[in-house]
Amino acid sequence: MNAVWISFMIVGLGIMLFNNVDIAFSTILTGSEKAISLALKLWAIYAVWLGILKIVEDTGLNNKIAKLLSPIINKLFGKTNPEVKNQIAVNLTSNMLGMGNACTPSAINAINGMDKGSDVATAGMLMLMILNTSSLEILPTTVIGLRVAAGSLNPNDIIFPTLIATTVSTVSGVVMCKLCEKLKSKLKQRKNTTELSKQTPVFKKVK
Amino acid sequence: MISSYIIPILIILLIIYSVIKRKNAYSSFVYGAKTSFDLVLTSFPYIVAIFIAIELFSVSGLSTIMGKLLAPLFNILGIPTELSELILLKPFSGCGSLAVLENIFSTYGVDSYLARAGCAIVGSSEAIFYITAVYFSGTKVKKFSYGIPVAIISNLLGVVAACLICKVI
Repeated sequence: MNAVWISFMIVGLGIMLFNNVDIAFSTILTGSEKAISLALKLWAIYAVWLGILKIVEDTGLNNKIAKLLSPIINKLFGKTNPEVKNQIAVNLTSNMLGMGNACTPSAINAINGMDKGSDVATAGMLMLMILNTSSLEILPTTVIGLRVAAGSLNPNDIIFPTLIATTVSTVSGVVMCKLCEKLKSKLKQRKNTTELSKQTPVFKKVK
Repeated sequence: MISSYIIPILIILLIIYSVIKRKNAYSSFVYGAKTSFDLVLTSFPYIVAIFIAIELFSVSGLSTIMGKLLAPLFNILGIPTELSELILLKPFSGCGSLAVLENIFSTYGVDSYLARAGCAIVGSSEAIFYITAVYFSGTKVKKFSYGIPVAIISNLLGVVAACLICKVI
């Protein structure tokens, strides 16, 4: 993330030195202004959804959703504590219903719950991240709305292509995630064994 | 639209359910809404940083340059070059890519192949970098190992599928 941000800032500002230096700083401010207006919008959305999700939690409905989704969650995330599992269940459900930014609070809670204070993301965190970045949306409500506004003759004809594309990205993402997870743990194991084999001769010499 | 019924109906059902369960829906809601404050405060700095980078990315012309550089690769994958700006912007910002999509609507027509493929792309992927920055804002995590490459590749596969299926239909 750090590398991405740094390269965007340096290359972006660097190019602007040559073609548009007058608006270079105002572009930065525009970005910041847009961030504030988005944050305000998000605040409104978060307040509503966190309120509703709290009702879901207090009625115990989230435990039921978690139980319903638990075969999938267990398969994808392995062993997790029940609190995290609940948050993941809420996140996946709100994602599928196309609630957009409403799935953010539950995702943040789930990731905080999986956090062990280390600076390296765990396999579960990465799986949740992949699932969210590949979009689980069944009904692309926002895009359909835009098409209606633009006067499309058949705004709904993108539902099927979107569903196919989403399935492709989600399935490939999950498969790659699982493969990389296995590869990583294998590499770690190999590293450990080579370290051990390196250590043993030293040990013998000392003897 | 059937989809506009989903959320209101779910909310009504939820409130009825909480009444049956004899829970205080009002105080639950208020308590939940209160936590939104913390969430916005912790994620805001990340949103600012990302948005400044996105703004520089599109205004400086970096996005068009990268689009031209990646055009040969996109051609091999069967992705029209007209969609390259959308595809490049999508991993960074959902709102930004919606603006580009509307631009595609007005240039090529809403029901054109390019517009439909663009819709499928926007609907099938998410803002990878934005999500990563905001989701991890409460932790100290800085290393995502295979996370970002996997997210980018799977989104690209989704894009290829979207372009292909829109061509067929």
